[in-house]
Amino acid sequence: MTKMNEVASQPGFGTSPHAAAADLGQVPAKMTVRDLNFYYGDFHALKHIAMDVPEKKVTAIIGPSGCGKSTLLRIFNRIYAIYPNLRAEGEIVLDGENILDPKYSLNRLRSKVGMVFQKPVPFPMTIFENVAYGIRHHEKLNRSQMDERVEQALRGAALWDEVKDKLKQSALGLSGGQQQRLCIARGIALKPEVLLLDEPTSALDPIATSRIEQLVEELKKDFTIVIVTHNMQQAARCSDMTAFMYMGELIEFDRTEKIFTKPDKKQTEDYITGRFG
Amino acid sequence: MSTSLYTTRRVKNILAMAFSILATAIGLFFLVWILWETLSQGLAGLKPQLFTKITAYREEGGLANAMVGSLILNVLGILIATPIGVAAGTWLAEYSRRSRLGPTIRFLNDILLSAPSIVLGLFVYTIVVLPSKYLTNGDVTFSGLAGGIALALIALPVIVRTTDEMLRLVPGTLREAALSLGVPQWKLTMQILVRSARSGIVTGVLLALARISGETAPLLFTAFGNNFMTFNPLDKMPSLPQIIYEYTKDPSPDINTLAWAGAFVLTMFVLALSLIARFAFSRSKVSHD
Repeated sequence: MTKMNEVASQPGFGTSPHAAAADLGQVPAKMTVRDLNFYYGDFHALKHIAMDVPEKKVTAIIGPSGCGKSTLLRIFNRIYAIYPNLRAEGEIVLDGENILDPKYSLNRLRSKVGMVFQKPVPFPMTIFENVAYGIRHHEKLNRSQMDERVEQALRGAALWDEVKDKLKQSALGLSGGQQQRLCIARGIALKPEVLLLDEPTSALDPIATSRIEQLVEELKKDFTIVIVTHNMQQAARCSDMTAFMYMGELIEFDRTEKIFTKPDKKQTEDYITGRFG
Repeated sequence: MSTSLYTTRRVKNILAMAFSILATAIGLFFLVWILWETLSQGLAGLKPQLFTKITAYREEGGLANAMVGSLILNVLGILIATPIGVAAGTWLAEYSRRSRLGPTIRFLNDILLSAPSIVLGLFVYTIVVLPSKYLTNGDVTFSGLAGGIALALIALPVIVRTTDEMLRLVPGTLREAALSLGVPQWKLTMQILVRSARSGIVTGVLLALARISGETAPLLFTAFGNNFMTFNPLDKMPSLPQIIYEYTKDPSPDINTLAWAGAFVLTMFVLALSLIARFAFSRSKVSHD
């Protein structure tokens, strides 16, 4: 498994050496996961995970329910730390620093690594305030700067045209798809470097889903994206790299195209072709 | 396929329905009876002087001082209980997660919730009334303030409980969403969670107010009562339930009628509070879902 990973991250190396490295091999890693173990109390939920998340690419994490894909994502911004009895061991290096080091400031980590959740969770405030809320905590901006930042974030999340006339209305009145894009706007408003998406479309209808997918395509110009998804077509459509997880282990991690056409592992192939999971 | 199985089920269903309807009818019967009695007896005593004259005039008087007293006592009680109760409930819901103290306090709060109110009255008598008598050489003994504290002790667990429950109804994802923006816990609690649960918390406070406005026992040896109008919380203070209690024991039928009128006013007040609590805020106990 660790080997798999090295394969994926080493230039010019792979099962089909010509293709494997050509486009992704040279992309520098934004985040490097090294021998990561995670425990829910006594339960060993993630086992020796190692992977390189390439910069400004979309990395999808797929696998059956309970395989640990969300757990892994939730370690990337240490959101798991709000619950008692959860423990992560190992290293996740972001820009040369280990974010699992207790000395690494959560405040800083979360301004660098944004997260969007499965269900849209707008705050009970106006649309404008939803976006401005996080910014205000990290930066002192005057009114016009703030207006500009909020507009920029809403445009970035492809929501501006729909809400520009009702910024002062409650965000709870938006549709599910709009709320989810608002949550993305809220996340990118902080100008993070990494954006974590935890099954962002599982609560949305197909039209809203395709808008979010288009958006992901746009966003990867500026952000490193890690997306957890149940939907294999989604992973195939919008990611550059795909990680397949099973029972807390990272089974295979490679270019999406390769994972979906000729995976190295039998387990991956079985999952992709729908034989289990 | 057996028709007998369906028949048995149908009979069981009819029986269960019949018992439920009967049980509901018994409950409603007494409730309606109580309301009807209060209404019919109370309306007889409902005259303008009820609201303008004080109890010192006896049959010729009204209940103005008792209403004012009740208002002051209830407001005192709620003013004392609300900040403490909301803060305690917030701590229970948001901060006690990692300690064993949380469940213990929640349990103790539930005991306080069901503690006989007369015991709370005695407690306040011992720790407020007696010391104040001692410290002021008898100038301040029973007082509105002591009554307010006794009522606060009754309102407190109700407010703690509703605040705790309402906050715990706020979905965890909202907490995660805010924390993942790097917002610290205290900001999350004050600016997002309490705001989400606001209407539920206000409902809890209103229900606590409805609860204490009918309390009699703890006021008997804290606020004591007074036949004159007073606005001073350090005076002995009358209240509607306490006057109703006194007037019901009175041999004079006119005084009894006044007691009924007082009961009617009190019932309407509590009813209005409950209705406000239910309708004004029922649309969303937690404004995020």
